Amino acid sequence: MGKYVERFNTAERVLHWFVAASFLTLLLSGLGLYSRLFHGYFTLFGGGAGAILAHKYAGGIFFVSSLMLFFNHAKEMFSFDEDDRKWFRSLGGYLSKDPEHFNSGKFNAGQKGFGIFMGIATFLLGVTGVINWIPASFPRALVQFSLLLHGLLFLAFVMLMVVHVYLTTIGNPGTLDGMLYGNVRRIWARRHHPKWYKEIGGE
Amino acid sequence: MAQVRVGFLVDTSRCIGCRSCQVACKAWNHMDADKTVEKGSYENPTDLTPNLYNRIRFLESADDRGNVKWLFMNERCVHCGDAGCMKVCPAPGALHRTMEGIVAFDKEKCISCKYCVSACPFNIPRYGADDKVTKCHLCFDRIGAGKLPACAQACPTQTLQFGGRDALISKAKAAGKKLYGENALAGLGVVYALEEKPEAYGLPADPSIPTSIFLWKDVVRPLGILGFWGSVAAVVVHYVTFGTRRLEEDGKGKGGDAHG
Repeated sequence: MGKYVERFNTAERVLHWFVAASFLTLLLSGLGLYSRLFHGYFTLFGGGAGAILAHKYAGGIFFVSSLMLFFNHAKEMFSFDEDDRKWFRSLGGYLSKDPEHFNSGKFNAGQKGFGIFMGIATFLLGVTGVINWIPASFPRALVQFSLLLHGLLFLAFVMLMVVHVYLTTIGNPGTLDGMLYGNVRRIWARRHHPKWYKEIGGE
Repeated sequence: MAQVRVGFLVDTSRCIGCRSCQVACKAWNHMDADKTVEKGSYENPTDLTPNLYNRIRFLESADDRGNVKWLFMNERCVHCGDAGCMKVCPAPGALHRTMEGIVAFDKEKCISCKYCVSACPFNIPRYGADDKVTKCHLCFDRIGAGKLPACAQACPTQTLQFGGRDALISKAKAAGKKLYGENALAGLGVVYALEEKPEAYGLPADPSIPTSIFLWKDVVRPLGILGFWGSVAAVVVHYVTFGTRRLEEDGKGKGGDAHG
């Protein structure tokens, strides 16, 4: 028996990094639009007009790839069971020093919530993005609200991204393997996702 | 402000709807005529366009006895003291305030985001075929050379009075005029003397930065900076307090992340 089990296949990993790369492009090209404080980031794209152009292309890639990711995992994300409720009640044990163990499936309750938020936010960011792009085609009050919502969702997105990166790297050593190489160690699978580990034939 | 804030006093009671201001503006700014359709009113065009920085609104109304009344209103950028367009513009210098208090624009610096279109309380900025902002710039080039703005120069009835803003306001007040825009939005650069309620001229009764725009730029934006660094701080604090989830059972012998 090998030391590793497969967590994400090649297609899943490529899709994830498409989402990540387009997100990073959106972040860098959008910062200057968010606040004049970040005006300097425009130079990465040869100026504000270039940044807007990059934002539109990256937005399209992000919209499609992120929603694909969402729909690929929709079935897993929308199945909350008693174990998930237990996870939520103690916030995954993240605010405790005692090593708590949860009988999570392939995704724990926090990951499910994160995925659902990502799907909804991607959709709304895409819709508001198009409205902000061609404001003359929509009622002024709608565009004004759309600008607000785009900024608000961006903020929530970035904050969650900080947490996502932390939890999948130094917060939970071994997690990143699944997204880099596809395989995770058996000990990791048993510890973090015992129900899933059992399903795929681990003990 | 280094210099006296300049502006217009638009005395609507004097306006005869001749539209010399529209024509003079087009002539000075080298803008072509827009092709329009006759709609049964002398009002033409019926809205500001990228080629039309100011126009006369014709407001026709009839009372019960069939007496027709006309109101004329010079529609243009009013050069707000607290300008929504400048608040949202992400390109430094694209929309800027001159020493005289004018909200001017620089097409070279405009990045075509169109935020100003939505943030203006008066729905004034327009984007042309070049995808750059246009609106009345109060002929800041002429003013700099000691001349009147083109529209004011052409106005035959002194409806458009140009000069120091404070002086124009006190003169109008002394004449018993009802003023619009004296204090709203940190004072409009274009103050109107109206004969009717602002709404009758299609002006907002109490002009202000649109609520969503205020929330976006004055609440979400600063909170965003706080939110980002707050989440970074939360993650760091978590790491040094509750700590990372090492895979302890792995044991020392097998290597991996287990700490010693």
